[in-house]
Amino acid sequence: MGSDSRIALEDVSYSYGKGALEKQILFDIRTRIDAGQIVILTGPSGSGKTTLLTLIGALRSAQKGSVKVLGRELLNASEKALISARRQIGYIFQSHNLLDSLTIHQNVQMALQLCGVKGQDARSRIVSVLERVGLTEHEHKYPRELSGGQKQRAGIARALVSRPQIVLADEPTASLDKQSGRDVVELIQDLAREDGSAVILVTHDNRILDIADRILHLEDGRMKSLSEVVSEGTSRMLNLLEKHDPDSANYLATFSFALARIAYADGEVHDSEREEMRRILHEVARLQASEVEFIMELSMMLKRTKSGLDGRIRSQALDENRAEHFLNSLYAIARADGSVSAEELIEIDAIAAEFGLAQSAKPTPG
Amino acid sequence: MFGSIPLGWLQLKAQKLRLVAAIMGITFAVILIFVQLEFREALFVSAVRYHTAMDYDLAMLSPKTDFMVSSKQFPRARLYQTAGFEGVESATAVYMRLVSWRNPVDPSNARNILAIGFDPAEPGFNRLLNAEQIETIKIPDQVVLDRRGRDEYGPVRELLDAGQPVSAEINDRRVAVAGMYEVGTSFGLDGGVITSDLNFLRLLPTRKKSAIDFGLIKLEPGQDASEVQARIREAIPKDVHLLTRQEFMNLEIQYWNKTTPIGYIFAFGAVMGLIVGLIIVYQILFADVQDHLKEYATLKAMGYTHGYLRNVVLQQAVILGVLGFIPGMGVAHLVFTKGADATRLPLEMSAQSALAVFALTVAMCAGSGMMALRKLRAADPAEVF
Repeated sequence: MGSDSRIALEDVSYSYGKGALEKQILFDIRTRIDAGQIVILTGPSGSGKTTLLTLIGALRSAQKGSVKVLGRELLNASEKALISARRQIGYIFQSHNLLDSLTIHQNVQMALQLCGVKGQDARSRIVSVLERVGLTEHEHKYPRELSGGQKQRAGIARALVSRPQIVLADEPTASLDKQSGRDVVELIQDLAREDGSAVILVTHDNRILDIADRILHLEDGRMKSLSEVVSEGTSRMLNLLEKHDPDSANYLATFSFALARIAYADGEVHDSEREEMRRILHEVARLQASEVEFIMELSMMLKRTKSGLDGRIRSQALDENRAEHFLNSLYAIARADGSVSAEELIEIDAIAAEFGLAQSAKPTPG
Repeated sequence: MFGSIPLGWLQLKAQKLRLVAAIMGITFAVILIFVQLEFREALFVSAVRYHTAMDYDLAMLSPKTDFMVSSKQFPRARLYQTAGFEGVESATAVYMRLVSWRNPVDPSNARNILAIGFDPAEPGFNRLLNAEQIETIKIPDQVVLDRRGRDEYGPVRELLDAGQPVSAEINDRRVAVAGMYEVGTSFGLDGGVITSDLNFLRLLPTRKKSAIDFGLIKLEPGQDASEVQARIREAIPKDVHLLTRQEFMNLEIQYWNKTTPIGYIFAFGAVMGLIVGLIIVYQILFADVQDHLKEYATLKAMGYTHGYLRNVVLQQAVILGVLGFIPGMGVAHLVFTKGADATRLPLEMSAQSALAVFALTVAMCAGSGMMALRKLRAADPAEVF
């Protein structure tokens, strides 16, 4: 698969400015994207997403590393090479970027005439792509006569009419409401699947992350793994909740954990049980639906860990070294605040008993 | 890209108000250029009306003469000297002077007119006057008048056509108008009368018969004018100029064009028209490129070349040029028709000058387009994301 990736980036770095004003935007980006894949590129603004997209889209030539698009190296590529690469890529722009003085049909035709398709062949392809995006009846209207969502659909039709092997989309939902945004993204997904295109979609919009086969996250010009991103986000959110309404967060966490224990009591959680938990938690808390959901999932995970830990450790046949390290760590935490209290010792004993750890390695307290 | 979308035209068409403003601006510039160039052309054509109408191959004149209406005299003997040269058929002595003409109907109205006297035995005016007229001017105090002179000279044509005798006062001497010839006015000349050398001297008693203003030399058929000119020049004293027809006309044109400010003013007017047009088209195209910068950047991102966009802008320039030229030519044509009636100047639009102005207009628009193109460089495809 490696060599025939649609897009292959190796150690790509990029800087703006020269000399003292030089500012590096991208650091050693490395990834591959294959045919039929939909990749979402996220990250805060200023993280370099757009720069990366313009490099892949051959809108600028790469400075360092290797940018291979459809097998063609774009590092220090000439203007001519960049232009010919652009013709094999379908762009979907943030604000549709249709040409105001052309009809929807003509706008789509502009993309087609670049690949030399004309006459009857062009006509039928335009008609069929407009049908696919549901704009058949608006074919001869001007962009100003369409709604935001319809314009974005026209932009998609223009990007896809030449059946490009790569589709790049920059915040295609930014100017749309929730429903039209969702529709547009699903349309991109469907069409790209049908044509087997590789899709890169830059977005801030968390609501559409689920259509991705893979999520790339950029922060300060560096690629970050998704778990890193999620865990950072989670701890931030917990802290926030704690500050914002500590009592209710506390109560909810306890309550939720209790519910999770019951749900897990028979070894597995049914959807009906989840639904019921959601309902109960909603009633007791004045929190947002998404916050309730979040706390519920966290407590479930906690319960899962707790009940799973037992069996897993046993099956892994905890050896002497590991057991010792485990216990030492417990004592280290107990000592961290200066002294080891009696309560702490009792808790350590309880955990050791629960996990069936030998207390042989037990260091002398104090 | 044959059969492709005419993007330039569609973009122009999408902004009707701006398109109309642009066309009106260019129309104005075209009218200005047409009128100025045509007046300039009329100046030259009219300045050499007599040069063209008289029958000669070589002209003799005083070196001090720089245009026809203010001619200086030279000895008639110089002209007669040439008669003996091989190839010379005849030599006509011509006297010229601005004189005062009183309107025959309204004698209080006096106006300068060019009086021309020549020896009616010689053929110098055979193209201008018919044989009958040449006979009548031999009679004392009879003249023929230019029928295309200005109206201020009086309704002579109408009176003659009605069969009434017309007499007028020239330099306080009563003369009879025996007929009319046809030449027309120019910037330095409102009209003319032609008569015999003897009648001319009667009008201007201070002039001597031996001092003439021009000598018209007619060569035998098949003679090369410049060869004969060279032979004569070598043999006679250098106190006269001997010019071919073309040189004689060029001298007059040169005077009006270079020595008077008139030629310059019209040329300057045409250039002003061109500059006004240039600025208008540039403004319109610049604003248009500015407005479409994002669209052009989008097209570049899709893979369109700078050359394609350049063609779009130049296409717009040429379309504006053509659309502005057509009404401009129409209005200019109207101005010329009216102006020719009012001034009796040879104002008419030749296909050649129309073509020249059209080329100028398109060049003007293309030039403006080129200037507006510098803005197009700013259409950075990386900016559209």
